[in-house]
Amino acid sequence: MITSIKPHILLLAATATLLSACSDNKQYETAICALADVSGTYAKEKGNMVQIIKAGILPKMLPGDSLALIAIDSSSYNEKNIKSQLTLDYRPSQANVQRVEFAKSLDAFATEKGGAQYTDISGAMMLCSGYLKSTQAGNQVMFIFSDMKEELKPGLKRSFNNDEFTNIHIAAMNVIKLNSDNTNPQIYRSRIKKWEERVMKHGAESWKADLKPTDLAEYVDSVR
Amino acid sequence: MRNLYIWPDMPFLSILMLVSTSMVFLYFARAPLHQALDSLNDGIAGGLTKISDWIKSVVVKLREKNKRVLLESSIADSEQKIAQEFKRMEASYTRHLADYPSLHLKLDESIANIDSDFKECGQVVPEAPGWSDAVESIARMKGSASGDRVIEKMLKELHKSAVEGEKAALSEMRKTASKRHKILSSLAPTWTKILKLMNVVSTKVELVLETTGKIEKYMQEYSKVRHGGADSIDMLSAKATKLFIFSLLVILVAGFGAFINFQLIALPMSELVPAGARVLGLQVSDVSALVIVALEIVLGIFLMEALGITGIFPQIAGMTISKRRILLYASLLGLFFLASVEAALAVLREHIAETNAATTQALAGKAISAVSGNDSKITVIGQATLGFVLPWILAMVAVPLEMLIESSQHVLNKLLILVIMLVGYLVGIIGHLLNTIMKAIIHIYDAYIIIPTQIGNLIKGKS
Repeated sequence: MITSIKPHILLLAATATLLSACSDNKQYETAICALADVSGTYAKEKGNMVQIIKAGILPKMLPGDSLALIAIDSSSYNEKNIKSQLTLDYRPSQANVQRVEFAKSLDAFATEKGGAQYTDISGAMMLCSGYLKSTQAGNQVMFIFSDMKEELKPGLKRSFNNDEFTNIHIAAMNVIKLNSDNTNPQIYRSRIKKWEERVMKHGAESWKADLKPTDLAEYVDSVR
Repeated sequence: MRNLYIWPDMPFLSILMLVSTSMVFLYFARAPLHQALDSLNDGIAGGLTKISDWIKSVVVKLREKNKRVLLESSIADSEQKIAQEFKRMEASYTRHLADYPSLHLKLDESIANIDSDFKECGQVVPEAPGWSDAVESIARMKGSASGDRVIEKMLKELHKSAVEGEKAALSEMRKTASKRHKILSSLAPTWTKILKLMNVVSTKVELVLETTGKIEKYMQEYSKVRHGGADSIDMLSAKATKLFIFSLLVILVAGFGAFINFQLIALPMSELVPAGARVLGLQVSDVSALVIVALEIVLGIFLMEALGITGIFPQIAGMTISKRRILLYASLLGLFFLASVEAALAVLREHIAETNAATTQALAGKAISAVSGNDSKITVIGQATLGFVLPWILAMVAVPLEMLIESSQHVLNKLLILVIMLVGYLVGIIGHLLNTIMKAIIHIYDAYIIIPTQIGNLIKGKS
């Protein structure tokens, strides 16, 4: 009896080992969220911002990676603010087609007219956090294209959960200095410092202030 | 420390008191403490010595085993070589000496021809009669000038007949001589033919002798190995180590080749196997590419087995020639198929790379750089050729792989022995060190209680 069972047990053990060796690709994938400020003075940076995403982020994405473009306006915590999103196909040829299509939607976004009176960065960050978590990707990155000066519309309440940014790497990109920053650089520095404290307090994996477009590729590689 | 002071206000006195008390205590406890330290020393050092001895015995056993394995494998190898040489000799005899009877027959015929011709030449031909003497005698006869016309006429007739007879005889002799010359000249090609035949025989015999010489050499090696002397063990060990190093080098180079092969097909495989799952952290497409490379090596092993170059699988070695031929053709076909697939994948890879570059340039807003058609073709042809050739090169890895597996047993055993010996030496050194430390502790102990010991000695001396 024992001798007749043994091969079956061995077969089961081998199958179990093989199955346990198989894993989902998600943990190796990267989900990226680009928050684009369309309010106030930053609205004119749209073209520049789109170019950075097209030249710096899109080509660095690998099959299976996801990317979403979220607009920062007066009230950003809204699904309508997700302007465009894609998850790259595992076939390189199909992925290239998707990249080109996404680039077209970015171009369309860049030419869109109209800005916002207020700047709800926190709402966009919360929306982005939700998107990144939904992808279940192993690496999650949030790029914020803004001057990082938040002006909330009266009545809006924005408070992060303690684990809001868990497992998320956050980088502020192409941060332009305001006139007041030029007058007193400490205003800019303290603003950035506050953001850092705020995101790190709510579980962010890392914070990078004023990331240069030339360092983007290196940054994405370091996050993977 | 302060807690130990008897008089906290007087630390010096307290310390002095403590030292004195401990000295007295240790003096009286000298004998049992010495015994305890000795026992501890014996226990540790003895234990370590035993471990060291055990390691030494293990090393001796492993050496013996390694020697036995080396000898046995060498004996088996020599036996196999001799058996192969016998097979070759049999084939050589069959191939070279099979036509010997016909060769011999030709030689016999040629010799018989020579014999008959020689006999014909040797036949005694009728000598030319002494016509000259007869003609001269008749010419000198007196009757010719006697004036007797009848006698004169008769003599003239006789002379004429004699001259004609002489001519006929000479002509006959010349004919016979000419015939003999012809026979003798016809012997020359026969001699040349015999010479050629003898050369052929000589070459074939030399070939057979060469094979026999090889067998003799192998037999000498075999008897040397069988004898199992120290020289032969050293020779075998050096041979195995050399074989291991060279085969390892070849395997490493082949490993790099396999890596290049993998890189060549990994990207296009992601186009063919676009799965989102991973196995052992590798993408399914990468695993597929690895499987293709591994299959090429496996087919190469079967190919070499079918050709009889390697002998990894005894079942294949024991197959009939027809079955081995089937295996050979199947392996060749499989390799050709995989090589063709790789060539196609290499072309696809170039296409994907070009598309990726064009997309990246387009996204960056740059004008797509024009790649000259010729350059692109050269790259594609180069990659396709590489994709087709690499599987055949990888297929040959079976030979060094077999050598590596064979020689690694001995080399790894040698390494293991070396490591165990090193551990043995370390244990010995630690044992020696601990022994010295324990002795030093006993001496320090004795030095510490020197004052009560001396007082005790004085009291003992007085009493």
